[in-house]
Amino acid sequence: MRQRLLLLLPLFSGLTASAGGFDNGPQGARVLGLGGASTAYINSIAGLSLNPGLLGQWADSLTRVSIGGIGQVRRSSYIGQGTFQRTDQDLTIQPGGYLYATHGVSKRVSLGLAVNTPYGYHTKWPDTWEGRSVVQESKLNTVFVQPTVGFRLNDNFSAGVGFIYAFGKYSQRRALGQYDDPNASTELSASGSGIGVNVGLYGRTGDNLAFGISYRSGVKLKMDNGTSSATGVPARDAALIPAATEFKTQLSMPSTLSVGIANHITKNLLITFDFTLTGWSTTDSLKLDVAATGNTPARRIATARRYEDALAFRVGAEYQVNPKLTVLGGIRYDETPIRDEYINPEFIDANRLGISAGLSYQLTPRLALEGGYSFDYGQLRTARANQTIENVANVSGTYRLATNTASVGVAVAF
Amino acid sequence: MKNFSLNLGRTAGFIAAATTLLLTACAPGQDTPTPVVNVNVSNYLAVGDTYTAGVSAGGLTRNSQEYSFPNQLARQFQSFSGGGTFTQPIIDGSGSGYLSFLDVSPIGYVRSRRVAGQAVRGTVVNSNSCIIPDTVRLLTRSTTAGTLPQNLGIPGLLLSQINTANLGNQSNATPGGTFNPYFERLLPAADNRTYLQVLTTASTSATFFTFFQGLDDLMPYIRSGGTCGSTPTTNFANTMKQNAKRVLDVLTAGGRQGVIAKLPNITTLPLLSLGQGDRLQARLQASFGDKTLLYIEDPLGIGPGQPISSDDYVLATTLPRIGQLTPVLVGSTTLMLPYGRDVRNPLRDADVLDATTEMNLLTAAVSNYNNNTGVAPAAPGLETLAKTYKLPIITTSTSESALNLNDFLFSQVDGIISVGGVQYSAEPVRGGFFSTDYYSLTPRGNGLLANAFITAINRAYRTNIPAIDVNTLPTIAQ
Repeated sequence: MRQRLLLLLPLFSGLTASAGGFDNGPQGARVLGLGGASTAYINSIAGLSLNPGLLGQWADSLTRVSIGGIGQVRRSSYIGQGTFQRTDQDLTIQPGGYLYATHGVSKRVSLGLAVNTPYGYHTKWPDTWEGRSVVQESKLNTVFVQPTVGFRLNDNFSAGVGFIYAFGKYSQRRALGQYDDPNASTELSASGSGIGVNVGLYGRTGDNLAFGISYRSGVKLKMDNGTSSATGVPARDAALIPAATEFKTQLSMPSTLSVGIANHITKNLLITFDFTLTGWSTTDSLKLDVAATGNTPARRIATARRYEDALAFRVGAEYQVNPKLTVLGGIRYDETPIRDEYINPEFIDANRLGISAGLSYQLTPRLALEGGYSFDYGQLRTARANQTIENVANVSGTYRLATNTASVGVAVAF
Repeated sequence: MKNFSLNLGRTAGFIAAATTLLLTACAPGQDTPTPVVNVNVSNYLAVGDTYTAGVSAGGLTRNSQEYSFPNQLARQFQSFSGGGTFTQPIIDGSGSGYLSFLDVSPIGYVRSRRVAGQAVRGTVVNSNSCIIPDTVRLLTRSTTAGTLPQNLGIPGLLLSQINTANLGNQSNATPGGTFNPYFERLLPAADNRTYLQVLTTASTSATFFTFFQGLDDLMPYIRSGGTCGSTPTTNFANTMKQNAKRVLDVLTAGGRQGVIAKLPNITTLPLLSLGQGDRLQARLQASFGDKTLLYIEDPLGIGPGQPISSDDYVLATTLPRIGQLTPVLVGSTTLMLPYGRDVRNPLRDADVLDATTEMNLLTAAVSNYNNNTGVAPAAPGLETLAKTYKLPIITTSTSESALNLNDFLFSQVDGIISVGGVQYSAEPVRGGFFSTDYYSLTPRGNGLLANAFITAINRAYRTNIPAIDVNTLPTIAQ
């Protein structure tokens, strides 16, 4: 089996990039501790949202519920290329959470529900920083709801399919630095929803080795209710920058293709490996279709993003210390979807190396407490703005990114 | 996959850095570059004309001086240990008076109001002047008059006047006299020294210079639509170059380092670019809602009016009068016809720089002054002079030794640039670069100009002087 999975590697080798991007980290305290390598990991039902194929494995008499919260601090520092001024992003905590539930309806079929917050970010720069006219604050929050059905095909194989309903909210604020008024700024916000599917397969060869493969489609969040406002604009430019306008836009959440294996090295030690290909290339540009206001006709404002598909490689380990305590650890490497030419302070990302740790403590046979923590450190990124391309708002400089993600939750089986 | 394994090679460093970071704080650090300066900028001397003096919005004021590009440059020098003090000939408050911005008309000219200057202590009206009476405003004396300032930029100083005795002596402030009130206020009363003599004195302690001069020599001709001032012939350009060499001989004495700036193309100035023939005609047609052509006088003054071409430039100061009804004698009757928008009432020669003679002469003179190699009988231009003085190469792409301000800044602004998310264009006031007088710069424009000099100094002298965040500067100087 391992041999065969290795054959899949060349499939991804032509791609230069990987997961990264504005994903919020593994969606569950235990899988976070495992570093996210959970495509073939059945010890937490959080795997349900990554691979519906796992669901068939919980087609027994128990109802399982796992619930918890996630907080991510994603922070960058910036040094201006010309000015040498260092600016640190303000501290923001991107809130997240998850709820998973599974219930077996027969020996072969089980139902599941996954609610989580897989994508999002909150970038907040000091209001007076060098790039304030590019961005001061930008925020994306998403919630994915995924009812799922899983089938146990035979003792060793199971498959599953889930339907995704996603809701997202996007907002952005930047200064209008062409005016003397330091409070002159423009702000936009929009929200909307989209749908997608998630399919997966899980298989076991013998007692020690298991594999999983899953595909989650991309989700287009259609946002038709966007509003944009501007303050501090002098009267002479009121026609150019209206105080309030409406716009429509679409945000693409990427597809993911994951393959993973889980191997019991000893009775107490489980090692998992994952490859994930994330289809970020659907994020090509941010297009705002702005409605007409006054004498200004309707227009489209497009900001190029040109994300690349991205590959992530994750390794996790789980060790059962005693019947009550299990500790987890993980290490991962996420390539960034953002090309050098398109580095923009609205959302900073870099090739990241992450380490994680977690634990699960069985309070009672039915109730376990789970906790996970992960730290990612990004490579230095250098943005070079070309000032003669006047339609691209950017600043030149270097960025360094670090993220801290923590999650706690409970897992219940009854 | 190749990428992937390469990156894994750095993981050891990553993990070490990551662990340190985890234990300290959550904003990841970066090393801030330390300014390295391989040139002595401890005593900086700025030489030039209107731009160097810090004129903005048609006047020299206390605030406009504060944001002059030499002062901003000196402040960047001071931001590390290498820079010393920089003295300017401070003028009081509203100084010489200025043009206060009101609004922008639909066809793009600036409506402004003249604010009287509080440093004006008297006026001399020269009624013999070419088109309109030329008013010379006498100004209160600078407190630096005894010692000479480090900013020796003199508004309106012509290169042809650098050897004129009594240029800064009030006794010459007479109709027809060669006199510069901005030079006068730098000197003690009744001082007969020439600019070059003053420069020689002031430069003795200087360690570094910038030289950006010559545009003011062309401005009388430009502002009068080619009807006043010296015609920019080859001889005229030769005189400019010879005089520039006299100034530069003083500045580079003893191997003193500095930057020589070449003149930008005059068509990048809004005084001209706002009135570029075909574009202006299109704006007028859109504004009046008709298809009427714009007419100029025949440049040779013999034929009837002719339609404007894309290479003819109407002076921006003329724009408010276009389309206004003026009396014209047609045959034996006097008709009221729209100025410029009727073949019988074409734009007068004084309001237009025509393509065939005036623009060609001006373009040739600027190019000659900047780049002439100096084969006799021509004098060498700035680029050749910079090489002679062994000033370092500034741009790597075209291996120029003098700072090509046109490529570095002015022509870029003419095509709109985006700096830190803010757009700058050649549109006066609104574009953020040029001020209400269609010629001088705003504080931000001066910041961008200072940044162009910083880029040049950094490249030439392998230094890394920090640049200015121009978006923090005011958009108007008053």
